[in-house]
Amino acid sequence: MNMLVLSAIPCVRGCRRVQCPDPSDQQDEGGGGSGDAHTGVRIFVNQPLSVHELGRPPVAIMSELKDCPLQFHEFKSVDHVKLCPRYTAVLSRSEDDGIGIEELDTLQLELETLLSSASRRLRVLEAETQILTDWQDKKGDRRFLKLGKELEPGTPVKHKPKKPKVEGKVSHASGTGPGRPKSRNLQTKIQEYEFTDDPVDVPRVPKNDAPNRFWASVEPYCSDITAEDIKVLEDLLKTPEDDAEYYKIPPLGKHYSLRWAQEDLLEEQKDGARVSMAGDKKKGPLTELDSKDVDSMLKKSESQHDQPEDGCPFGHLTQRLLQALVEENIISPIEDSPIPEISGKESGTDGASTSPRSQMKPFSAPHTKSLEVRIKEELIAQGLLESEDRPAEDSEDEVLAEILKTQAELKALSAHNRAKKQELLRLAKEEMHKQELRHRVRMADNEVMEAFRKIMAARQKKRTPTKKEKDQAWKALKERESILKLLDG
Amino acid sequence: MAEAQSSEEEWDALCDLSAMSLTIEKAKMALVSADTKISEDLGELHQLIKQTQEERSRSEHNLVNIQKTHERMQTENKISPYYRTKLRGLYSTAKADAEAECNILRRSLDKIAEIKSSLEERRIAAKMAGLYHDSEPPRKTMRRGVLMTLLQQSAMTLPLWIGKPGEKPPPLCGAIPASSDYVAKPGDKVAARVKAVDGDEQWILAEVVSYSHTANKYEVDDIDEEGKERHTLSRRRIIPLPQWKANPETDPEALFQKDQLVLALYPQTTCFYRALIHTPPQRPQDDYSVLFEDTSYADGYSPPLNVAQRYVVACKEPKKK
Repeated sequence: MNMLVLSAIPCVRGCRRVQCPDPSDQQDEGGGGSGDAHTGVRIFVNQPLSVHELGRPPVAIMSELKDCPLQFHEFKSVDHVKLCPRYTAVLSRSEDDGIGIEELDTLQLELETLLSSASRRLRVLEAETQILTDWQDKKGDRRFLKLGKELEPGTPVKHKPKKPKVEGKVSHASGTGPGRPKSRNLQTKIQEYEFTDDPVDVPRVPKNDAPNRFWASVEPYCSDITAEDIKVLEDLLKTPEDDAEYYKIPPLGKHYSLRWAQEDLLEEQKDGARVSMAGDKKKGPLTELDSKDVDSMLKKSESQHDQPEDGCPFGHLTQRLLQALVEENIISPIEDSPIPEISGKESGTDGASTSPRSQMKPFSAPHTKSLEVRIKEELIAQGLLESEDRPAEDSEDEVLAEILKTQAELKALSAHNRAKKQELLRLAKEEMHKQELRHRVRMADNEVMEAFRKIMAARQKKRTPTKKEKDQAWKALKERESILKLLDG
Repeated sequence: MAEAQSSEEEWDALCDLSAMSLTIEKAKMALVSADTKISEDLGELHQLIKQTQEERSRSEHNLVNIQKTHERMQTENKISPYYRTKLRGLYSTAKADAEAECNILRRSLDKIAEIKSSLEERRIAAKMAGLYHDSEPPRKTMRRGVLMTLLQQSAMTLPLWIGKPGEKPPPLCGAIPASSDYVAKPGDKVAARVKAVDGDEQWILAEVVSYSHTANKYEVDDIDEEGKERHTLSRRRIIPLPQWKANPETDPEALFQKDQLVLALYPQTTCFYRALIHTPPQRPQDDYSVLFEDTSYADGYSPPLNVAQRYVVACKEPKKK
C-alpha cells in the first residue's frame, strides 16, 4: 500500500521524488497519470477515497497521517554560500565597491540557479496547497473550506478556472451529508477534473478518409452501365443540332470609318451644345438651329458619299470607257478646244465660287444608269470584264474568311462528335447486353455451386447423389456454359 | 577565469582610452555616456541583489517553520484541523515569498541582460571609432584557442529560460525550433550549411550579417574567419541557434530526448556534425552528452562528448543514404 510511503520516515524521499521530474513510479501507483507534476500529485487525492471505499469510515475532523495526501516536501532554499560564491561575495560588498563587469556572467549563472530553485518551490507549493484544499473539500468540512479561503486569498490563478467546477459539485453533493456516498460523488468529480488535463497528452489520430474519397471518385468509371446512361446518350443524339445560327453570316454593316466619322460628329455636336449652353443663354435658340444644321450637313455628306466623287452623272464603267477612248486621241488637233469652251462657260455662269458639281448638273443625262448597265453587259459579253456572280469584294474580307473558316471547323467537329456519340451509344448498348449476360453467369454460377453443395452433402452422408440432383447439376453446368459462349461470341 | 580577466582588461583599456584625448569626439561622447549608463546599471544591479537576499532570508524563515510543522505533524501521526489550517497559512505565505523572490531575481537577470547589451553597443561604438586594442583585436588575427574560449563563454552565459508556473517555453528555447517565418537578426549565431571548396556540404557556425526579404537569403560570416568567407545562403540552409537554455528541472520537454538525432558542434571545432543524444542535461548548467556519427569507431559513433545546449540543434535531414 503506497500510503506507507507517506508515513513518517520517508517523507524526505517523497519530496525528492517530486523534485526530480520523473513521474514513472508515481504513475504505477496512481494508475495512469501524465508526466505532469500536478497530475502526479493529484493522484494521491484519490488515494484516501479509495480507502474509504474499501470500507473504512471517514474521519471527519481528526485524520490519520496515513490518509494525508500531502507529501511534506522539504522546502530548502539554495545554500548560496556554498553554491553561489560570487553572489555571496557581492552581498558582502559595500556600495562603493559595486560589481565589476567581469562578474556579470558568473552572477547571471548563479541568479539563474536561484531563480530556478525559487520557481520550482513555487510550483510545488501551489500543488501542495491545491492538495490541501481538495482534501479539505473532500472532508466536507465547510467550516475549514471557508476558513481556508479567508486564510488564503491568493489562490493560485492557474487553478481558478477549474476550481469553481469542483466547488460547485461539492456544494451540490453536500446535501447528502458527510457520509460515504458523498465521498464517492466527489471521487467522480475529481476524476473529471483530472480528465481536463488528459487530452493534452493523448495525440488525436486524424481521421483518414482518403481511401473512401478515392474509391468514390473511381466508382463512376467502373460501375455498370444503366438504362439511364443510355437514355442520356440518346437524348444527346436527338437534340437537333441548333447550330443554324452559327452558320449565319450577318450582312455587312457600315464601314467603320464612316461610323466613326458620324460618331465623332455627333460627339462634337453635343460638346458644342454643351459649350454654348454653358456659355450664354442668349444663344439658346441658336443651338437648336445648329443641331438642325448638323443634321442637314450629315444628310448632305451621306448623299455625297452615295454619288460618284466627281459628281459626274455617268457610271463608273462609262467613264472608264470614255477615258480610254479620249486618251487614244490625245494628239488630235481639237485637243485644246474643249477647255476654253468649258472655261468660257465657267466664267460665264457663276464664276469661281460655284463648285464643279453644280456646273456639271446641266449635263445630267437621263439614261446614264441603263447606259452603264448595258455597257457592263457588253463588256462582259466581250470577255473584257469578269461576271460579278462571285462578289469580288469578299476575297478581301478577312472577317468573312475567318467566319467561314471557323464554321467549317465547327461543322467538322460536330460531325465528329455525332459519330463518336453514336459509337458510344452502340458500345453502351453492347455493354448492356453483356452486363445482362454476366449477371446471368453469376446466377448460373450460384446454381452450379448450389448443385455442388448438394452433391458434396450427399457424399458426406456416404450416399450416391440422386438422379434429380445429378440432373440439376448437369443442367446448371450446361446453362452456364451456354451463357459463357454467348458472352464470348 | 581567463575570459573574465580578458573582459576586465577590456574595461581598463577602454577607460584609459576614454581618458585619452580622442580624435573622434562623437565616438568619445558615445563611449562616455555608455560608460556612465553601465556604471549606473551596475549600481542598480547591486541594489537588486541585496534586495534579493532580503527576500530570500525572509522566505527562509518561513520555510524553516514549514519544516518544523511537517516534523511535528509526522511525529504526532495525526493531522488535526489546527495543523491543516496552520499549514495552509504557511504554504500561502511561502508561496507569496517565492513569487516575490522570483520577481526580484527576474529583475536582476533583466538588468544583467541590459548591461550586456549596453556593453555590446559600446563595443560597436568603439569599433566605429577605430579603437581596437589588445584585448579586443580585429577578429582576423584572433587565435583559435581564443575563439574556442569565446564560443564556450557565450554558450555558458546563454540565458536560462525560467517560466512562471503554467507558462510554456517559447520558440528558440532549448530544442523548441523557431517558428517557420522567423528571421534571424544580424549578429545572431546560426548553423549554416555551406559548400566547401572540395564540394562537400558542411554545417558551420556562422554569424548573420543581413537578410534579404526579397531574395529570402541570408548573408552570413563564417565564425572561424580563417576562411574569411562571406556566404549568401537561402533560409533553408540556416538553423538559428537557441536563444535560451531550457531548464531540465522545470521544462524537460523543451530538451532533446535520448537517442534523438541532432546536429551538434564538435568540441574544439566550428562545425556541426550529426549526433545522437546520449544523455540530456540534468541541471541548468549541464551540457548535453552526445555521440557523434564517426565511422572511425567500430559501432559508428564516437564516445560520449559534451556539447552545450546552445550548440545543439535539430537535424532536419533523415539518415544519410
